[in-house]
Amino acid sequence: MALNLKGSFVLDELKNVQITIGKILEEGEEWDEPVGPTPMPGIADLRKWDHTLLERYEPFYAPMQDFCTLCTMGPCDLSSNKRGACGIDLKTAKARLVTIACSIGAAAHTAHARHMLDYVIEQFGEDTPIDLGPDVNVEAPNIRTIIGVRPRTLGDLKVALEWAEREIVKVLHSTHIGNEESLIDYESKAMHVSMCDHIGMEVADIAQIVAFNYPKAEPDTPLVDAGFGVVDRTKPVIVVVGHNVMYARPVMDYLEEQGRLDEFEITGLCCTVHDMTRYNARAKVFGPISYQLRVIRAGLPDIVISDEQCIRADLLEACSLMGIPLIATSDAAMRGLPDATDWPVEKIVSALINGEVPGVFLSDPEKIGQVAPIVAEEVFRKKDRTKLFFKSDDEFREEIAKCTQCMNCVFTCPHSLRIDQGMAHAQKTGDVSKLAELEDRCIACMKCEQACPKKIKIINVIMQSNLQNLYAKTGMMRVGRGPIQDTEIRKVGQPIVFGQIPGVIAPVGCVNYPDLKDDLREIIEEFLRRKYIVVTSGCHAMDIGMLKDEEGKTLYEKYPGNFDAGGLVNVGACVADSHIAGAAIKIANIFAMRPLRGNYAEIADYALNRIGAVGFSWGPYSHKAASIATGFNRLGVPVVVGPHGTKYRRAYIGKPWKKEKWWVYDIKTGEKTYIEPAPDALLISVETKEEAIVQLAKLTIRPNDTGMGRQIKLTHYLELSKKYLGRYPDDWPIYVRSEADLPLRTKDELLKILEDEHGWKIDWEKKKILEGPIRPLDPGFNPTLVEEVFEKYSRK
Amino acid sequence: MAQVKKEEKYPIAKRFDIADVQVSREAQAVKPEVIARQIKRAKNPVLVTGGYLLKEPELVDYAVKFYEKGLKIIATGGSSKPLIERGVEPLTVSYTLHHFTQYMLDDEWQGFDGKGKYDVVLFLGFIPYYLSRMLSALKHFSKVTTISIDQFYQPHAKFSFTNLTRNKELHYRMLDEIINLIGGE
Repeated sequence: MALNLKGSFVLDELKNVQITIGKILEEGEEWDEPVGPTPMPGIADLRKWDHTLLERYEPFYAPMQDFCTLCTMGPCDLSSNKRGACGIDLKTAKARLVTIACSIGAAAHTAHARHMLDYVIEQFGEDTPIDLGPDVNVEAPNIRTIIGVRPRTLGDLKVALEWAEREIVKVLHSTHIGNEESLIDYESKAMHVSMCDHIGMEVADIAQIVAFNYPKAEPDTPLVDAGFGVVDRTKPVIVVVGHNVMYARPVMDYLEEQGRLDEFEITGLCCTVHDMTRYNARAKVFGPISYQLRVIRAGLPDIVISDEQCIRADLLEACSLMGIPLIATSDAAMRGLPDATDWPVEKIVSALINGEVPGVFLSDPEKIGQVAPIVAEEVFRKKDRTKLFFKSDDEFREEIAKCTQCMNCVFTCPHSLRIDQGMAHAQKTGDVSKLAELEDRCIACMKCEQACPKKIKIINVIMQSNLQNLYAKTGMMRVGRGPIQDTEIRKVGQPIVFGQIPGVIAPVGCVNYPDLKDDLREIIEEFLRRKYIVVTSGCHAMDIGMLKDEEGKTLYEKYPGNFDAGGLVNVGACVADSHIAGAAIKIANIFAMRPLRGNYAEIADYALNRIGAVGFSWGPYSHKAASIATGFNRLGVPVVVGPHGTKYRRAYIGKPWKKEKWWVYDIKTGEKTYIEPAPDALLISVETKEEAIVQLAKLTIRPNDTGMGRQIKLTHYLELSKKYLGRYPDDWPIYVRSEADLPLRTKDELLKILEDEHGWKIDWEKKKILEGPIRPLDPGFNPTLVEEVFEKYSRK
Repeated sequence: MAQVKKEEKYPIAKRFDIADVQVSREAQAVKPEVIARQIKRAKNPVLVTGGYLLKEPELVDYAVKFYEKGLKIIATGGSSKPLIERGVEPLTVSYTLHHFTQYMLDDEWQGFDGKGKYDVVLFLGFIPYYLSRMLSALKHFSKVTTISIDQFYQPHAKFSFTNLTRNKELHYRMLDEIINLIGGE
């Protein structure tokens, strides 16, 4: 516990001398856990761990550009790994760019945390205790492990946040021209800044859970309406877009106080709406971030409130064209609007209603709470609600008729959608079904409209073509629950580490999916049926609530919300991803009794070798997704991304044929031991849902699996490969240590394959493997990649 | 068998994404005979198939024809399933294009069958932006000859079909022509 000695006092003997004490942290007195080797680590402190990881999982670079324009000595041609004027080569330049991307992601969450923490401390006081419910004692696993403190109050979070802010600046400094020479050291910095991201996320989410009284690790949170069609258009609609709930909350409070909440529709897009539903389950989920233009161009909002991160940079223009007033709230996105923070409420309302300004910048949350409903109500009264994407069917048809099939749209669409074919078919036959088919795949980025020489409103055409189905997109999302309970970890820790629960799959992130949205549901359900634990957040968690099976049920309605085999856990907004990392850390701590305090490398090593958790981002596009994933990688958790993820330019992929790369220290035998390549990659992209499913199953395999655990994991890997790829995977034999690892039902068949095709020696009488595996199954195997951990536990 | 006629004018080689620009060389948009020549000259050529085979059965037909002409197949993205159903035995089914590309960048790698690295690699049936990134990696960091035979022109390959998005039949005829030429001598 932090000891707080705050206030001012005067010493009797020293007149006119006043000593002011802000805060003293005396952690040691009430937290008897010894301080580990790296509390508040600097860039160099975990470098050894990063280099160990990157020695095995070699960085892979796929340049988006082979030139650099970051300084005035350029532009420089770096193709084929040439060096530029500053001396940097192409691979290192890509590593630098990844570091910058991760820094941006980390800065976004950390600035969010700063904004949130300052606000809630001002509102509720820094002594507000951190209470995450009766079943959460390890309240901040990331902060405990990385920073080395145990926060008890909101004020205690400041030390963690200040550390993250300091480290982000230091990493960003390294990306200036003429600094780092080694791509591996850039990758280490990318990992470092991404670890800061996990701190930023944890601070932000703990602060809002505590201050706003969100659900506290409760598995049975309410189900809320989700989908484009959930809004009652007979009421004024207030739409909030972004990631910071600070500005949506007072709107709900104001209407609640007025007893008028039922007279409005309070909805949101992207992570803000996660937190709106956590605050008040009467809020509705309009959809993920790709629904911004869908919602605005349909004219559904009567007012839009934007906060921060992932919001479109043309939101004001989009709203203005539809006559929708905009309130920008975050200094990260002020949109050139007049600062109305000091204006009286009446003046702001009048300016917005009368169209004197298209929007205002307003950073006072309480004022937003008063302004937004009044403006929405007034706009609603004046608006013609019958018009959606087009004023009439004639106008819709005229727009389609303009298309000349030049295909400029196709050659700029992120998914190469064949808009030309849909238009041509509609022109010839009047049938718009081919255009309608595009809607589900369209992320409404608007690049097609920018490219169109005829200025066709292509998005409107696509949306109008699929209007009925678009409105039929309604479902239920389970409200984000925040952290995982210590009691849940106590129950599943052992089966996860031993492998009886085959793995934890964590679908998180954005919506730049390669194909139909429903693929996400199919992938996830495959693992839920097989009793993996699925933990989700962010836009993936929203989309899961909008996707229904043949019986019209969402996965949230079919699977329980507890962190257990076959559970589907929604932790909340993207800042709640920290609880997913936290769950892995808590397994090491609560189940395995590994100390957390300033002990990052040991915990990450534990996760890499023992915890079969895999991150999954089917449609990543933000910088935050890059830093979240890279933070997980440093923690020893592999991540699978959809094909757009290759545009992050970098992956971490091991080479299984290089035996010398796959080793661990075995604490039990005291020897360096060669192992199977498990997991064989830390960051890898896949092209299709079929490939995603098989890769996810494979990446849950860990060196520490028991015989039964490996048997269960291999059973799923083999079955899924046969189901989706047509035969057993090519590499399954390298994961076999003994006959105990083999699936029971196919044991004989597999032993025969090992003998015939791989030259293994089998004792058929005993059905025992005599020769062949990389290493034998040893129940006492105790792997680590960290020399200091090896020495520490060998001594014991 | 349908052949691309000499007098036929090929469409221009428009990049699959106009913004996917680099300063280094762009792929030569080539006719089928150039590709057939590359395959015939190669010591260890291979065809890598991608996820579009699950959507476009014609691509499965062509992969099978390549296989029947003796070309080894590395099946990625789930493309193995329809190929296996047609009697193809791919070299591998469970490595992603991302794995394969990483391995190809390593001078020590001896291929999935241990018979040496592939010197000419053909790509068929991929999401264009996904393939583009892998071709970019191979262009900058390896000496392998990469050939895209998809309908979209791939600027980062060494050789690519031109943009055939307007004319599927022409795409198929060009694939047919390669298959005929590699088995014709």
